[in-house]
Amino acid sequence: MKVITANRLTDGRVIYVAADGAAVDDLSQAAVLEVAEAEAALALAAARPDVFVNPYLVETDHGVFTGRDRLKETIRSAGPTVGNSLNHREPA
Amino acid sequence: MYRYDEFDAALVQERVEEFRDQVERRASGALTEDQFKPLRLMNGVYLQLHAYMLRVAVPYGVMNGAQMRRLGRIARTYDKGYGHFTTRCNIQYNWPALTDLPAILSDLAEVEMHAIQTSGNCIRNTTTDVFAGAADDEVEDPRPWCEVIRQWSTIHPEFSFLPRKFKIAVVAAEKDRAAIRTHDVGLQIVKGADGGTAFRVFVGGGQGRLPHIGQEIAAAVPGHELLAYLTAIIRAWNLLGRRDNIHKARIKILVASMGIEAFREEVDRHFATLRQEDLRIPDDELARIQSYFAPPAFTNLPRQSAAFDRAVLADPDFARFSRNNVRRHKQAGYASVIISLKPVDGVPGDITDAQMELVADLAERYSFDEVRAAYEQNLVLPHVRLDDTPALWRELLAAGLATPNADLVTDIIACPGLDYCSLANARSIPVAQALSKRLADLDYQEKVGPLRINMSGCINACGHHHVGHIGVLGVDRKGEEYYQITVGGSPDEQAALGEIVGRSVPADEVAPAIARALDRYLEIRTEGERFIDTVRRLGADPFRDAIYAGEAADA
Amino acid sequence: MPELQLLESVQNGPRLNVTTLLDEVEAAAAGTDVLVLEFDAFRDGRGFSLASVLRERGYTGRLIAAGKLLPDQARHLRRSGFDAVELSPGADLATWRRMDEAFDAAYQPAIDPAPTIWRRRAAARAATPPKPEGDLHALAEKLNAQVAGADAGVILKAALEPALGLRTAAISSFGAESAALLHLIAEQDPALPVVFLETGQHFFQTLQYRSQLTAKLGLTDVRLVSPDAAEKADLDARDDLWKTDADACCDLRKTRPLARATTGFTALITGRKRYQNADRAALLPFEVLDGVLRVNPLANWTSETVEDHLVAHALPRHPLVEQGYASIGCHTCTRPVETGEDARAGRWSGMDKTECGIHVGRREPIAA
Repeated sequence: MKVITANRLTDGRVIYVAADGAAVDDLSQAAVLEVAEAEAALALAAARPDVFVNPYLVETDHGVFTGRDRLKETIRSAGPTVGNSLNHREPA
Repeated sequence: MYRYDEFDAALVQERVEEFRDQVERRASGALTEDQFKPLRLMNGVYLQLHAYMLRVAVPYGVMNGAQMRRLGRIARTYDKGYGHFTTRCNIQYNWPALTDLPAILSDLAEVEMHAIQTSGNCIRNTTTDVFAGAADDEVEDPRPWCEVIRQWSTIHPEFSFLPRKFKIAVVAAEKDRAAIRTHDVGLQIVKGADGGTAFRVFVGGGQGRLPHIGQEIAAAVPGHELLAYLTAIIRAWNLLGRRDNIHKARIKILVASMGIEAFREEVDRHFATLRQEDLRIPDDELARIQSYFAPPAFTNLPRQSAAFDRAVLADPDFARFSRNNVRRHKQAGYASVIISLKPVDGVPGDITDAQMELVADLAERYSFDEVRAAYEQNLVLPHVRLDDTPALWRELLAAGLATPNADLVTDIIACPGLDYCSLANARSIPVAQALSKRLADLDYQEKVGPLRINMSGCINACGHHHVGHIGVLGVDRKGEEYYQITVGGSPDEQAALGEIVGRSVPADEVAPAIARALDRYLEIRTEGERFIDTVRRLGADPFRDAIYAGEAADA
Repeated sequence: MPELQLLESVQNGPRLNVTTLLDEVEAAAAGTDVLVLEFDAFRDGRGFSLASVLRERGYTGRLIAAGKLLPDQARHLRRSGFDAVELSPGADLATWRRMDEAFDAAYQPAIDPAPTIWRRRAAARAATPPKPEGDLHALAEKLNAQVAGADAGVILKAALEPALGLRTAAISSFGAESAALLHLIAEQDPALPVVFLETGQHFFQTLQYRSQLTAKLGLTDVRLVSPDAAEKADLDARDDLWKTDADACCDLRKTRPLARATTGFTALITGRKRYQNADRAALLPFEVLDGVLRVNPLANWTSETVEDHLVAHALPRHPLVEQGYASIGCHTCTRPVETGEDARAGRWSGMDKTECGIHVGRREPIAA
């Protein structure tokens, strides 16, 4: 299954595309897509560069990232694993 | 230090307005992301894993208290209360909003700072020896020349869309404390035949996928021809550098493929026909810039300081700090003090807003209002009285800024890695932390002596792992984080690239492996021999065996 | 400065891609008086070097840029030697024009004839000879008449009027009453240079207060000025000159450093007030001293006026004031004042000296 992720134009934060096309911060709210519908949905997101910067598809399986970039996508979703921003993480 | 006049200030303001215009056009759709990207990069704005990242220029690493204080305020107001100093002496913020950037740039302009050309395919921040103006082996202070290069390269009409980035570093001594041989152009100030300033020019150094050590292209370019010569070099590369593959686009690739002789001829052909008189730095302008770097009003002090010596005897912790972090100064009774940003369990190079405010205050009170950012991702107070050093140390200690590990094994140079960077294959910060916890014992560190560990989270080598005495490179093996270890690199005048010792190891094996290598070094070194010298004498084999000894034991 | 021409139709003339090698481009240019260089990608900066080289090597014909270009590159094109750009359909002329004009000046020489910032600096220096003192006396008289009876803010504003062509700085001791003047200055121009004489003998509290006040008021150009190291080594190596010859010590640590720091300024703002001692009782807002216009916006203020201002604007005070110091200089020569003494009685108390000299005019050099 796929989800669409991107960065939000205004503040650069990681966002996902929900079923209604809205940008959401939380992976749990992202639309989970069959491969067949994913490309079309990606094209819709790509047509909105005022919100979605560089949208792309990511592989997931029941809320867990699979695929080659799974570690990177996990970190994108959950934030840095170490460092000075840990205490400041905004609530999802 | 250099102070803006009305021309410098106007240009920076105009740049802020230009960027504001570009952000608006991106938001309105007049610019696509593909068009906007190089424009925002030329203002230091990256889009990283979690957010935008802003890289603010610290020209040749020099700041005053007001500027450091403003950097702290920006961290507090627009970011998450901290900043990160890099191997190019710039500072990075990891969480600014695009919509806040014009305001941030405006705040920076108020204290004569900017983020111009800290990224993008243009000429980047010129760096130099962090001890410039204090070191006793300088031919002359390199910083005025860095300021000349900065002005000349800013918003250069011919060189803003180069094949790739272009980095220049300048030193003024035989000892290379700015790693000039790892830069696209490295400049060493020497005395010319007429006794005036001249430059020994290296070209084609670089890290990344295909690291190269720079080669000498000219032995002594007279100072007044410097900008013309740089123009010829960059023009030659701009016209011939590859643009089909970003990994083959740096000048190091062109020099390697043409050979240094052919490249030199190409440069000379351009040099012969460009309008050199135009590019000759006016004498009065050079003098004007040099006057800003006149030595501060040092007090005439004896070489020895009774207060300093007493404190060394009285307090072993201060003694250790003085051994490692206090460096000799050319002016009697003064020293340069290194503020390590590598506490055990910290993030290498990170500093909080409160710490920045304190450092600003300390710079004003102890160091003629000057503080420097170092290639090693530490800070330096360049001109401190030895008499004042005990009091300074106590203030640093209270703020967690007195880690006495400068140039020791836990003074690790590390990139932010996969925790922050979208280019990374693996995390570097937790590995650096595990290593510094493992090696935290300061007696052990001093026994090992000077040893630089460099860590990069990917092959772009922003942590300069190729030239670490020990280098660690994060790689991706089927989605898992593994680390390759190199041994024997060196960034200085004996520049060398480290040798990969073997297969990459998982994250939790890096610290034990390196610890074994250090123990081995202690066994086989001769008296007074630094780690890098033992490697030069015996090669990487003894360390390879030690690093993989753990595997043999498991098998 | 000639503008980059914005052309909305396809141009005639030999057309070469910027990927073409330099030798071939030069050969083509030799046989034509109009040449179009086409960019396949706006990132491909070869075009700027090709144009620069053609111009440097003598091509005087028309040079037109075409293809994929951004309005943000207008300036780069013009300065590299292009006369014109052939715009893509749908290009916004207004944006092209705006980005071409985004910068008034440039540092580095390029093909365009506009003088560089370096040349403009040199020209600015040459064009402003120092004003003869006679003019300044007349100016001071005129300004005193103009501001008669006006409040401090008006006096300060008159001094900062750009049309006067003055190069202005302020002097501050960051002492007992300094916050008032510095606050007025910060309200009008926080970037005004403020000179602080770092004599090396200040109270520690003064240095801390200076940091605190600078930050609070947002002053961005406080300049710390120290005595010349070589002079000091000769004249006062043991830091005890104040005991035997306080005038010479003030000259070394204040008067001469101030003179060096203020070369090039034609006006200096001070916080002096009539009430402070008998010598200042006839102080005017504008006076001329050693060829420099001195501005004293607080000349008519009393100590009550100062106090009211500090309270009204919640300005921090120098911590030694509440210990009884009414005027604060170096710790060597400053003591608290007794009730009934005038405010500066604690300065050089017991010596025949009431002014350090930075406001009194050139003194004869001391005998070596």
